[in-house]
Amino acid sequence: MMRFAVSALCVLAVYLTVLFPFTRSMAQKPYAVKLGIIPHPVALQVLLPDFQELLGARVLGKVIQYYGSLTDDKAVPGKVPLAADYPAMSRTVHAALRLDPYNMDGYYFAQSILVWDVHQYRLATDLLEYGMTYRNWDWYLPFFAGFNYAFFLKDYENAAKMYMRAGELSDAALFKSLAGRYLQEAGETRMAIDYLRTLQSSARNPAVKRSLQVRIDTFEAVLAIEHARDCYLAENQSAPQNIDALIEAGYLADKPVDLYGGEFYFDERGQVRSTSKFAFAGVHRSDVEEKPAPPRGK
Amino acid sequence: MTIVAVTLKGLLRDRVLHGILFASLVFLAIPALSTLSMRQVTELSLTLCLSLVSFILLVLAVFLGGVSLWRDVERRYTHSVLTLPHGRTRYLLERFAGTALFLLGTAVFLGILSILVVSLVASNYPPDRPVAWLAVVAALGFDVLKCLLLIAFAVLFSSVSTSFFLPVFGTIAVYLVGGASQQAYDYVLSPVGQTLPPLVRAAAKVLYYVVPNLAAFDLKVNAIYALPLDPGALALTFGYGVLYTAFVLIVAAAVYSRRELG
Repeated sequence: MMRFAVSALCVLAVYLTVLFPFTRSMAQKPYAVKLGIIPHPVALQVLLPDFQELLGARVLGKVIQYYGSLTDDKAVPGKVPLAADYPAMSRTVHAALRLDPYNMDGYYFAQSILVWDVHQYRLATDLLEYGMTYRNWDWYLPFFAGFNYAFFLKDYENAAKMYMRAGELSDAALFKSLAGRYLQEAGETRMAIDYLRTLQSSARNPAVKRSLQVRIDTFEAVLAIEHARDCYLAENQSAPQNIDALIEAGYLADKPVDLYGGEFYFDERGQVRSTSKFAFAGVHRSDVEEKPAPPRGK
Repeated sequence: MTIVAVTLKGLLRDRVLHGILFASLVFLAIPALSTLSMRQVTELSLTLCLSLVSFILLVLAVFLGGVSLWRDVERRYTHSVLTLPHGRTRYLLERFAGTALFLLGTAVFLGILSILVVSLVASNYPPDRPVAWLAVVAALGFDVLKCLLLIAFAVLFSSVSTSFFLPVFGTIAVYLVGGASQQAYDYVLSPVGQTLPPLVRAAAKVLYYVVPNLAAFDLKVNAIYALPLDPGALALTFGYGVLYTAFVLIVAAAVYSRRELG
């Protein structure tokens, strides 16, 4: 008995010396290595026919966990470091939605990441329209797609169609009114804030929630500048030269802060813009390849 | 004591129930795991519960179905059983019935656990659409029916095999092929499939009618997302499952009744 106990203790001691470096090396593995190779969805459908929904949820869970682990909320809330592997994330989300086209987490995550972080508006909207053929009761998908069409793609006709669809499904007056307002091509900042607040109110992932809060706060600053600009224009019959002119004339109490680290300015049309382009530095459109939505049909 | 009772008693003696109880401890983790979802916590809990039940039933169907007859022959129990006033067909069918009853009892137990877990999760995180309990029960029921069909195949393979491998791996092969048969058939009928050689297309169509179509028994997506069920399609699937199982059992009984039990 003593012999077994000594053997077990020796093995346990060696195991513990290996365990800590092992854990460290696992934590340092790149995302693609950690995630492993995801077989083609068709192969998974054939090999594990009864477990497609489970596989879809599992794959999405890995991506969401990865994204959550990248945000450094103590340093800059909502900021994702440059090392984020967006192409791999995009491919993974597409594969998961091919396995389970009903999974709302996939659409929600794709909308959060593809639109706001990598500016792939068309790709995200195509994915939402793909989801609408399955989740035909869900007002969130046309709501997201309507926002993308109006705010990013400037396609007000399609935006109105999507908001009408969201209004029909949810019976919410807001969407019906948004459908009308988008046709007028006005009030974009206010609409963006309305949209983001709706998105945030239903978000549960803390990283996504904080990321949305940063955007809402920044857009509130933009809205304050737009309001001051309109007052200036009405009273002085001329547009202000820059943001400082609004502060000097007393239309703004303080210089509004862009939480993305940029400086606000007026573009040639008098619209409020920021040098940050309302995104943390380092994320570019070209980081994610254009990949079409999965073909319809499971 | 009937062979059904002997089968059930044997399964309990083999501590299969202990294994199931141990595996069902995973249910305790499902409420916590489900909260990892951003927008569909209840749906994820349903996905996890139904997948876990499906996996446990599949393992039971493959191993219990594949091992019971073969082990009797291997241990020469069959000789003593067949000295009793029972025909071989009755012996085989009662072995099947015993395994099927055990599987049904397990499904009821795991189904109740699933309903409890999902109810708990849904009360904390109400889903956008109410849980379709009827679809959940239907998904569990049709999963059982699919497993009964697999047990019938396992019994068929056992009736001809002298080893453990054919019943177990043969049943796994039927599960894989049966799960993909509808997809292969849809592919053959698609525009891309029209470019295949006519012989391949004809062979694929014949195989589609011969191989069991297990995709029809998978109602998880209806249960998870509260999608409507088609009663007509369900009735057809039920009939298909029962008749296919009956046919496989008749073939198994015919083969077993002529088998040399040396």
